[in-house]
Amino acid sequence: MHRRRFLGASLAAGFAALGLSGCDAGRPLRFGIHPWIGYEPLYLAEEFGWLPSSVTLQKGQSALDSMELLSSGAIDGAALTLDEAIRVHVDGTELLVVGVTNVSVGADVLVVKKDIETLDALRGRRIGAEMSSVSGILLLNLLATAGIERGEVTIVDLPMDEHVAAWKQGDLDAVACYEPTASAMVGLGGVRLFDSSQLPETIFDVLVVTRKFAALGQGSVRDLLEAHFAGLRHLVRNQADSIYRVATRQGTSPAAVRSALASVMLPDLASNQRYLAENGRIERVARDLSRMLEREGLIPRALEVDRFCDSEFLPRSVA
Amino acid sequence: MKRWLIASLAFALLVLALPGATLAQGSQEVRFGIYAYRPAPIMYERYQPLADYLTGRIGIPVKLQVLDQEQMRKALASNQLDFFLTNPSQFLVIRSERSLTGVLATLVRRYGEAETASLGGVIFTSADRDEIASLADVHGKTVASPGRHFLGGFQAQALELKEAGVDVFRDNRIKLVRSHDRVIRSVLAGAAEVGFVRTGILEELAEGDGSLLSRIKILNRQNLIGFPYVVSTRLYPEWPVAALPHVDSDIVRRVASALFAIESEFPAARSAGIAGFAPPADYQSVEYLARELRVEPYDQLPSLSWSELVRQYWGWLSAILVLLLLLTGAMLWLGRKKRELAVEQQRLRRLIQSWPQPMLMLRNGAFVDSNRAALELLGFAVPQSLLGKDIATFSPQTQPDGSISRQKMQRLLGQVRAGEVVQVEWAFLRSDGSQIWVDMSLAPVREKDDSQPWVLCSWYDITRRKEAEQHLRLAASVFDHAREAIFITDLHGLVIDVNDAYVEITGRSRASAIGGLPPLPLEEGPGVFSGARKNGFWSGEFVSKRANGEPFNMALTLSGVRDEHDAISHFMGIFSDITRLKLQERELRTMAHYDALTHLPNRVLFTDRMQQVMAQARRQEQLLAVVYIDLDQFKPVNDAYGHKAGDELLVEVAARMRAELREEDTLARLGGDEFAALVVNIEKPEVLESLLTRLLHAVALPVRVAGRLVKVSASIGYTLYPQAEELDGDQLLRQADQAMYKAKQQGRNRYCGFGSADS
Repeated sequence: MHRRRFLGASLAAGFAALGLSGCDAGRPLRFGIHPWIGYEPLYLAEEFGWLPSSVTLQKGQSALDSMELLSSGAIDGAALTLDEAIRVHVDGTELLVVGVTNVSVGADVLVVKKDIETLDALRGRRIGAEMSSVSGILLLNLLATAGIERGEVTIVDLPMDEHVAAWKQGDLDAVACYEPTASAMVGLGGVRLFDSSQLPETIFDVLVVTRKFAALGQGSVRDLLEAHFAGLRHLVRNQADSIYRVATRQGTSPAAVRSALASVMLPDLASNQRYLAENGRIERVARDLSRMLEREGLIPRALEVDRFCDSEFLPRSVA
Repeated sequence: MKRWLIASLAFALLVLALPGATLAQGSQEVRFGIYAYRPAPIMYERYQPLADYLTGRIGIPVKLQVLDQEQMRKALASNQLDFFLTNPSQFLVIRSERSLTGVLATLVRRYGEAETASLGGVIFTSADRDEIASLADVHGKTVASPGRHFLGGFQAQALELKEAGVDVFRDNRIKLVRSHDRVIRSVLAGAAEVGFVRTGILEELAEGDGSLLSRIKILNRQNLIGFPYVVSTRLYPEWPVAALPHVDSDIVRRVASALFAIESEFPAARSAGIAGFAPPADYQSVEYLARELRVEPYDQLPSLSWSELVRQYWGWLSAILVLLLLLTGAMLWLGRKKRELAVEQQRLRRLIQSWPQPMLMLRNGAFVDSNRAALELLGFAVPQSLLGKDIATFSPQTQPDGSISRQKMQRLLGQVRAGEVVQVEWAFLRSDGSQIWVDMSLAPVREKDDSQPWVLCSWYDITRRKEAEQHLRLAASVFDHAREAIFITDLHGLVIDVNDAYVEITGRSRASAIGGLPPLPLEEGPGVFSGARKNGFWSGEFVSKRANGEPFNMALTLSGVRDEHDAISHFMGIFSDITRLKLQERELRTMAHYDALTHLPNRVLFTDRMQQVMAQARRQEQLLAVVYIDLDQFKPVNDAYGHKAGDELLVEVAARMRAELREEDTLARLGGDEFAALVVNIEKPEVLESLLTRLLHAVALPVRVAGRLVKVSASIGYTLYPQAEELDGDQLLRQADQAMYKAKQQGRNRYCGFGSADS
C-alpha cells in the first residue's frame, strides 16, 4: 500500500467523484494528484484561482490512482514519489520529471524495539516494510548506509495497514513506516532509530508529465509549474492561512499540518533549478534508485534514458 | 525587588545625565501602547490586567495606553511609547516610518477552547438583504469599515473582493466609522449595506447580544477546520508586539519572556480574550496584501533611483537602448537614404531634362512632362506649350502613310496600354510650320493598381535621314531608269554596279558585268582610269563589242567619285551606244564627196584630190594629166529611153572608164554626162595617149539599156601639169575643159590636148 493512499484514505469521498469528471476540452494538461502535504500547493492554487484553464486536476485518493491513469493514458502527468515515477516509466509510459514538490526530511521513519540502539544491531532481525512503497526505499537506503548486506536481515514485506497488528504480536523487531503509523508504533513502545532526515535529499516527491505531452503542451506544463510555485508561496509564507486550509482539506487539525510541514522540505524555484539540473540530484538519485529497485526485483529493468528530468519548464521567476 | 528598583533607578539617573539618553531608560515606567480596535473603555478594561501582569513580571510599572491610529502615530513620533501591540497593517506602516526591533511575539487569540494566531476579515450584510448574496453583489454598495488601516476591518476584505472583480476603492462608497462596533451598528441600522469587521468581533458582541448573528448574513464564508471564528477572507497572522529601538535590550528581553510565559488560564489572558503569545509569525503575506492593494506603506510607488533601475532592469534597459539605437540608426540611415534618393532624383531629373534626345511622359494620351530637347525639337520655349495636349496636336492632319494622325495615335496608345512597346516613324509639325520626322518609341510604365499607365515617349530626329533617303531614292531611280549605261567601279576599275541600260547595251548580264572590267578603248585600256584620276574625268569614243561579238560604237565619260576626304574612292562611267550616229555620219560624208549614181567622186572630192596630186607632182617632179570627158549624143538616149535608161548608160560607161584607169588615178563625175580624171605619174606622153584611146574605145562599145543596144561616144580634152607657169586646180580643169570643147568641135569621139592643135 502506498503511503499517500494511506494518508488519503481518510479523505472526504466527494473528491473521488470530482476528480473523475476532468474534461478533455482544448487538450489541457490533465494532471493526477492526491492529498499529500507536498502536493498542497497545487490544491491551494486551484482554490485561489491561480490554476489556468490549461491545466485540470484529476484528483484521486492515492498515488495508485494516478499511476493507473498515467499508464492508461487518461492523464498526462501526475504528482508522485520519484520511485513511483520510475515504476510507471519502466512500465512503458515514458515520463519526464519537471518539478520537485518536496524532499522527505523525517517523514519516513524506522521504528525499532527498545533493545536495538544502533543500526548495526539490526543484523539478524526481522524488519517489516511495504517494499513497493517509499518505505521500501527508506529501508534499502538505510541498509546500504549502515553497510548491512541484504541477507543479514529478514525483510518481511507487509502492507502498511498490517504493521500495527504485526508489531503488537511481536513478529517484528523493526518497522519502516511513516506518519501517522510511526507515532502509533512509538505509542506502542517503539523507538525512532532512523528517519529520512538522515538520508538527505534521497526521498523525493516530484511532478511528472508524459514525454509525449511534454513535447506538445509545453505552455500547459509551464502553467502547471507556475501555479505550483504560487501555491507553494502561500503555503510557506502565509501559514496563518494555509494550515487551516490544508487541515480542512485533509480533515485533520492545523497542528497536525504544522508537524507534517516540518517533516518535509519544500524546495523553492531556485532549489528546483538545482535539483533538476543536468547531472543534478534528481538525475543521480533516479539512476541509483532504479538500479536498487532492479536489484531487488521490484522493477524489471533500470532506467535507460539520457535525462529523466528537465528544468526547462520551470518558470523564470515567481510572481 | 526593592533593591533592584533602587539599583535600576540609580542606573537610570546616571544614563539620563548623558545627552541623547533614551526616555525608557530614564523613565520609571514602560509605556505599552495598544491600538484601539474597539472602543477605548472596553480596551482598557480588557488589557489592563495584561499591563498589570507585565508590571509584576518585569518590576517596572507598565502603563497601558489605548490609542487610535492618529494618537499612536503621534506618540511614536515623539518616542512616547516603548512597546506597542497593533494590527499587522498598522505595524507595517510604523515599521516603514521608523526602525523597530522587529516583532517580539505574535498574539494568540482564544475563543472557547480554540486558539489561533491567525486573523481574517468578515464581510457581512443585514440578514434581510436578499439582493446581496455573494462577493460580486457588493459592487456599488455602501460599505462600513472601521478604517483603511485595519487589516481585518478593511484590507483583507478589499483583496478578496478585488480577486472577485470588485474594486472597493473605485466601486464602493466607504464609510469609515473608526471602530468595529459602529460598523455593526451601521449595517444593522441600514446606514451601510455591507460591513467589514475583523474576525472575532461578531463572536465577542454576540456574547452580549444573542440575536446578533441571526440578524446578519456572512458573505463568502470560509469553512476552515480549527479556525474558531466566522471568516470571509483568507487568514493573516495575528497582531504583533514590537519594541521601539530606544528601549533597553534587557527590558525588551524581560517583556518578551513575560509575554511568552502567559498561559491561557492567566487572568491577564482571560480578560483580554487571548491564549498568550507565540513566536513571531511571518508577516510577509501582509506585505503582499499591502502591495497588491497599494495601501500604506506601499501606497506610493517606490521612486526608483537610476542606479536601482539600471541594476534591476538592465536587461530590459539595454534591450530598449539597443532598440532605440537601432531605431535612431535606422532613422538616420533612412534620412540619409531619403536625401540620397532626393539628390539622385534631382540628378536623374536634370539628366532627363538635359538629355539631348527628346523624352516625354504621357498620361491619358496627353503630355504630362517633357525635357528641353523635346521642346526644342518642336520649337517651343516653355513646357506649358506642350503639357496637357496630345501628340496629334503637333502632327500634320495625316501621316505620310496616309492615315489620320489622331486615329493612328489612338491605335498606337491602345497597343501600349496592352503592354506593348511601340516604335514608329512619325511626322511632326514644328511651331514654325516646318515638318520633321522622328523615330518615336512609346513604352508603358506600369504602376501597381493603375488602370491608366504612364507612357514614356522618346523621339529621335530622323528628318535628315529621311531627306537623305529621298535623295537616294531619286538617285537610284535615275541610275535605274537612265537611257545611258552607267557603271560604278572600284579604284582598280572593277565593276561593282551597273544599271539596266548597261545590260541592254552591252548584252552582258548584270552578274557577269560585276567584278569584271567595263568596256574600254582598245589602245588605252585601263589607262583611262589614270586619266580620269589625273583630270577628274576621261571621255572618248571607241568601238567595243557586245556580248554576242557584234561591234558597236560608244561614247564614254569616266569620272572619279570622291569620298568625304576628297579622295577618289570609285569611278563612275556613263556611256551611250553611238553606232547609228557613226553610220549616219559616214553616209553624210559619202553624199558630200561621191556621186550617188555612179559612186564616183564628185566635183568636191575631185578638186580636193587634184590639190593633193598637184602637190605630190610638184614635190616629186612627176607629170600628171587632168582629163575632161563629155559624152556625145547622150541627150537623145535620155530622151528616147527615159532617165532610167540614161542612168544605166552612165553607170555602165563610168564603170568601163574606171576599169581602164590605174588604181592611183581618179575618175570623177562632175555632173550630167561630164566626167573628169586625174592621171598621175605619167612617164611618157604615149602612155597617156594610149590611155585616152582606150577610154574612147571603152565608151564607144555598145551598151545594153532598156532591152536594146545603145551606142554613144566621148569627146576628151586634157592638160598636163606642171606647166611653165604656176596654176591652180581650177585653171587646170578649165584648160582641160577648153581642150574637150576643141575635140567636140573637131568632130567628136576624139581627144584633144590643151595648147595643141592635133588630137
